[in-house]
Amino acid sequence: MSRNKIIGMIRQNAPQSGSFSVWRKEKTETPVARLKEMFKDNLTRVGAAFSELLGKDQLYAFINVNYPDALCFEREEVWKEYQAASPDKLDKLGTVLLNGQFGVAENGAIWLDESDFPNRLIPFIARELIISLPSGQIVEDMHQAYERIDPIGSGFGLFISGPSKTADIEQSLVYGAHGPVTLTVVLY
Amino acid sequence: MKGHSEKACGFLADEKRAGWHDQTLWTVRLKRDKAASSLPEWEDLREQASQIKEDVLTHLADYLLRFEQQAVENGAEVHWASDAAEFNGIMLGLIGKYKASHIVKSKSMLTEECGLNHFLEEKGIEVVDTDLGERIIQFRKEPPSHIVLPAIHLKREEIGRLFQEKLNTEEGNSDPQYLTSAARAHLREKFLKAEIAITGVNFAVAETGVVVVCTNEGNADMGVHCAPVQVHCMGIEKIIPRTADLGVFTRLLARNATGQPVSAYTSHYRKPKPGGHMHIVIVDNGRSKRLGDNTFRNSLKCIRCGACMNTCPVYRRSGGYSYGYLIPGPIGSILAPVADARNHADLPFASSLCMSCTNVCPVKIDIDHQLYKWRQELSERKLVSPFKRLIMKSAGKILASNAWYNFSGRMARWVVKNLPRKLVYHPVNVWGKERELPAVPRESFKEWYKHNAQKRRTPHEQE
Repeated sequence: MSRNKIIGMIRQNAPQSGSFSVWRKEKTETPVARLKEMFKDNLTRVGAAFSELLGKDQLYAFINVNYPDALCFEREEVWKEYQAASPDKLDKLGTVLLNGQFGVAENGAIWLDESDFPNRLIPFIARELIISLPSGQIVEDMHQAYERIDPIGSGFGLFISGPSKTADIEQSLVYGAHGPVTLTVVLY
Repeated sequence: MKGHSEKACGFLADEKRAGWHDQTLWTVRLKRDKAASSLPEWEDLREQASQIKEDVLTHLADYLLRFEQQAVENGAEVHWASDAAEFNGIMLGLIGKYKASHIVKSKSMLTEECGLNHFLEEKGIEVVDTDLGERIIQFRKEPPSHIVLPAIHLKREEIGRLFQEKLNTEEGNSDPQYLTSAARAHLREKFLKAEIAITGVNFAVAETGVVVVCTNEGNADMGVHCAPVQVHCMGIEKIIPRTADLGVFTRLLARNATGQPVSAYTSHYRKPKPGGHMHIVIVDNGRSKRLGDNTFRNSLKCIRCGACMNTCPVYRRSGGYSYGYLIPGPIGSILAPVADARNHADLPFASSLCMSCTNVCPVKIDIDHQLYKWRQELSERKLVSPFKRLIMKSAGKILASNAWYNFSGRMARWVVKNLPRKLVYHPVNVWGKERELPAVPRESFKEWYKHNAQKRRTPHEQE
């Protein structure tokens, strides 16, 4: 069996145990306001738009005014409707609003897992994506980000940083390679 | 078979394109520098990444078994392949099992290494590459010329003509935005019909059985979440021990590859989708053998960021195809002779040993040192051309002897100064092929030092 052959070969050839020391970045207590600034700067760098609201109660009014067609999955029947939707049905999705769990200041990434959308395809197949995020939920870097994630908390999770992009034709940056053409982050 | 330098000649024949290639990759290198220098802890990250990989190589069997156990508990099916043939057989078996006829694939250098597309094509099965750059070269029936930027050797007009033929785009329109949206529509159709989605793997976490894939386009996810069956293909060295290690590698990878702070999508696949199937194929294909080689083991640390290509003065000016191996550039030049020393014996010489590759490597592979080691080994095994061996042998003799060294220096100065141009710039003088020899000094440094040291000393002695 190849499995045993490969494992046997590896055991035979692996180097003698060397030393390995774990490095951990010194934790800095960066003020929340500064983290928010870094996060916003990086969102701009990765091609995302952002808006800032004064509180969660403003979120739906803001969406209603600016994105009246946006679909959100807070209502149970909508969630259920899209849970088992076929790719063909999801292909018609225009603007979708999702709630992010937390953001990462150093790169503008936002963590979501499958508890945040009824179907794994949704964050990728929607034409335009809006992610709302409490402004207090921003960590400094990816070390802190992975400390926050429960690694076995979900069957699928991801960091999104900006809209889908490519530069495969002469290094010219184009948004909307396959997934969302735009990403808007709404901080509240 | 043409060697690297002959093929590089072909690449350089189009001066304008070669210049563009050189400049464009250098710009990517500069972006990388900016991103790297924005983190004060950059060097700590590199050192840590290198150490994590050291730990992985030392305990690889245990980590792989742990990963397998976790992945199975998560509901994935794990397959093992000793070599390319076995890997292709497993993939064919899966396609048969699910009776799939629509297959999409996101970027995976491993499937390139195993020749999967070609193998399946011969069986009448089409695999659609979904990364834009990879789709372009798939249309052209070409291999990638760079591991991160697969179509970097092409100009927009060529892609415009290609898409006109394949996707019915407007004649003469080579606007990247327009061409990308045409590819988007074309590939969207493929995604919606997909029955199996194949991906590569950036990192596989031993403690959780999670597979991590990073893309900018979102093509891996479009495939994986559209198709009922997802298949992730990884070399044995893609393992990392802990979730926390992802913090180190996700900070390094995109910054070092393209200068982005992180990839647009960093996806963590743990369980199959409801009602779906998840397979993970773990491939050896010569890696466990290389693990036993003290000199070349470190090349297994590579995370395929491509930075060594972007920075390499030889790669930038010779293009990916001149290497004749699927992974080009400095890292390819140390991997290729492992695969086939006889046919790739010239690659370790396609380098100026300037060490730039080693300096940008995010996992601190001693690439320049390994290139140098390969040169020695290939010469000893007599796989280097007799002409090169003769030159090396003579140079060795001359440089080892004071008298020979002085004499040949004097000779060279006399020859270049006094012989007619035709005799100096003859075909054997490859250095003089595209450039002028430096102006000949009147005397050697040794002679100059002898005179001047004498003069200098005198005033002091007079005091």
